[in-house]
Amino acid sequence: MVQERQQERPPLPSLDMSWKTQTIQWGTRAPVHKDGGLTLEAINTGAYAEIPDYWEDRTRMPRGAFNPPGSSGVAIGGYYLRHKSDLWADNAAELYEEAISRRWSSAESIPWEKCRGLPDDVEMAIAQVSTELSQQASIEIEVVSSWLQQMSYGYHEVKVFLATENFDAGRHFEVFRKRALVNGGGLGLESPGQVNRMLLESRAGWTETSLLVHILRGVFTRTVYRYLAAYAPTEVEMLIGRRAAQDKTRHIAYAMQHIKYAVNHVPGQGRAFNAGLTQAELVAARDDADPVLWECLACIFGGGVRGMDAGMKVVARLRRTYVEDYLQRLAWIGIDHRAALSPEYVRLLEA
Amino acid sequence: MVTANDPFATYKEYGKEQGYDLRWLERRDVWGQQLDSTAKKGGLLLQDVDSGVAAEVPDESRNLTGRTRGSIPRTGVPRVGNYSVRTKADIWLRNGAELYEEAVARQWASATDIPWHTIKPLPDDIERAECQLATFITEVEFVAGDVPGKWISAVTPDYYEPRMYLISQVMDEARHLDVFRKRALVNGGGLMRRTGNTQGVVGGNIDSARDFTEMSARLHISGEGSVLTLFRMGELMAYNDAEKHIYRLCAQDESRHVAFGVMHLQYLGSIETDRREEIQSYLDEAERALVTGASGQNPAARGLASNAALAVLLGGGDDKVDEGMKTLLAVRQRQVKEYVQRVRVAGFGERFENGRANPMLEQYLKVY
Repeated sequence: MVQERQQERPPLPSLDMSWKTQTIQWGTRAPVHKDGGLTLEAINTGAYAEIPDYWEDRTRMPRGAFNPPGSSGVAIGGYYLRHKSDLWADNAAELYEEAISRRWSSAESIPWEKCRGLPDDVEMAIAQVSTELSQQASIEIEVVSSWLQQMSYGYHEVKVFLATENFDAGRHFEVFRKRALVNGGGLGLESPGQVNRMLLESRAGWTETSLLVHILRGVFTRTVYRYLAAYAPTEVEMLIGRRAAQDKTRHIAYAMQHIKYAVNHVPGQGRAFNAGLTQAELVAARDDADPVLWECLACIFGGGVRGMDAGMKVVARLRRTYVEDYLQRLAWIGIDHRAALSPEYVRLLEA
Repeated sequence: MVTANDPFATYKEYGKEQGYDLRWLERRDVWGQQLDSTAKKGGLLLQDVDSGVAAEVPDESRNLTGRTRGSIPRTGVPRVGNYSVRTKADIWLRNGAELYEEAVARQWASATDIPWHTIKPLPDDIERAECQLATFITEVEFVAGDVPGKWISAVTPDYYEPRMYLISQVMDEARHLDVFRKRALVNGGGLMRRTGNTQGVVGGNIDSARDFTEMSARLHISGEGSVLTLFRMGELMAYNDAEKHIYRLCAQDESRHVAFGVMHLQYLGSIETDRREEIQSYLDEAERALVTGASGQNPAARGLASNAALAVLLGGGDDKVDEGMKTLLAVRQRQVKEYVQRVRVAGFGERFENGRANPMLEQYLKVY
């Protein structure tokens, strides 16, 4: 820490001005760009760009600030994730700014009046799929928000990015609720719940939770969003699917970068994840045995109950696409999971 | 079984023949009730969507599977909801959905909505004071991100409206953390000293509250109320348009956060009258924190580096801190006045008539 010489001035009797003399680095001038403005990444400059491998402090001291003289900072409670490998991703600051610049509103960005007049069976199928996706988003909110207070302030980029993920998930919760109710379809059956339970009970570490909520579940949810957009009966479902997929891509991008970082810095973690994922797929297979989501998607893709046989072929393609995408994400992270894939997921690939 | 009143009878008949399950194809209570998204300015708003069973907010929630309110329960679903907040009065307010939609409509970007180019080099004493204040606010703002985050996962989704509001608050606080960090690092300065808060030892802080209303009283009424007053007076300590924008936009967000706390207290106080005395005890604590600065949340509180920094900013330099202190006392007086007004609106104003309120509050109002 650089001790700077205070200018010679008469002391101020009632105010302690000692804070003026200390700073890790003075003279910092982050660049403001003409189009992108001043980004979170841009202020990571000089000493403030140093991201430590371990963050000692368990207070809310901002990275680059310093403690009052003679104090090391009394822990507040929480902030147990203090290793960089517990949560870090190089792209978190960039994804944070992207989330803000691409914000949208379900109230005003969706032309709700354009989803009228659908056949009754298709309307009911959409209402059911919307109920499922709304609940998935609700569980994602519970999972992610419960970790925030465990994450150290030394890695604030991740914390603020996850705030945007929560906000995105909130929007997904309400946009699908609105879709279920806007035409009088009504909310349908709740989720089968096995994957939801697994996500909420995953407490081994944030990295493990991220692997499940972002890669196993997140890649699946994004696949459904994309197929909904592609086979949307109206402009409303198309726009919702596209925008939600765009959001979900950011969440997956964070997870890929973070888990890759963790796997590269924690010996043996990749192998443990490979085995854990096989177990997780078996849990997912229990939810997959429930026909409700598949039938509803088939009804939407096939244009109604009478088109469900054709729709089921699209559903099979969706599920195959999901497993292929899932394996590709894992391979990029550095986990070669193909040989450890559960029999249920292998069957989906071969379907 | 096919009945004459079942609008899906023919589909079911066909589907069953083909071996499909079709249990999702059952008429709901809201069947056929279309919502008009063009009826109101602002589009299809969350507060206008629910009807029928989806609109029924239970006084006690027995939803332990995480289903969304109004969806149909299934047998065999595991109980996943470790929801400690399952009583409506513990979390509810009358305008949670409205506050959420307002937050969505008023999102802003610290990167591009602040005219950063209007910040020109400032005298060293002013820049240091700006950076000290920005360090303080960066430190304290995300308490209102982490702590609501923890509570979101503790609230049953049957009360999704306040949950949605809390999600928007976490987002707002992330932006506040980020915009003040940017301010500290954009103009030739740097980050400075953190607060020396030690409440982690004995509890009594926002983080350690074990009850949602207790937390909300500390966070929304006391902590954020003080910060809101300061942001509203931002014009007095801003040295350029960028800082004026920051204070104005943050004040807009903080107003929602404070409104949540006030409206929640108002609801709870009117529904669970036997908890009024308990709430008064939280307000006792809040007032103690307000007059002594013990919460560590009020940048204007005496003894903090941010207090001295404010004196420099409000006075116009190191050599004018005495003038700055006078203005700062007016800020603290306004903090007290606005606090009193909030508590009155929340329905707990009797404490200012029956002698329960902290006597130093009155002293502030009389003396300054």
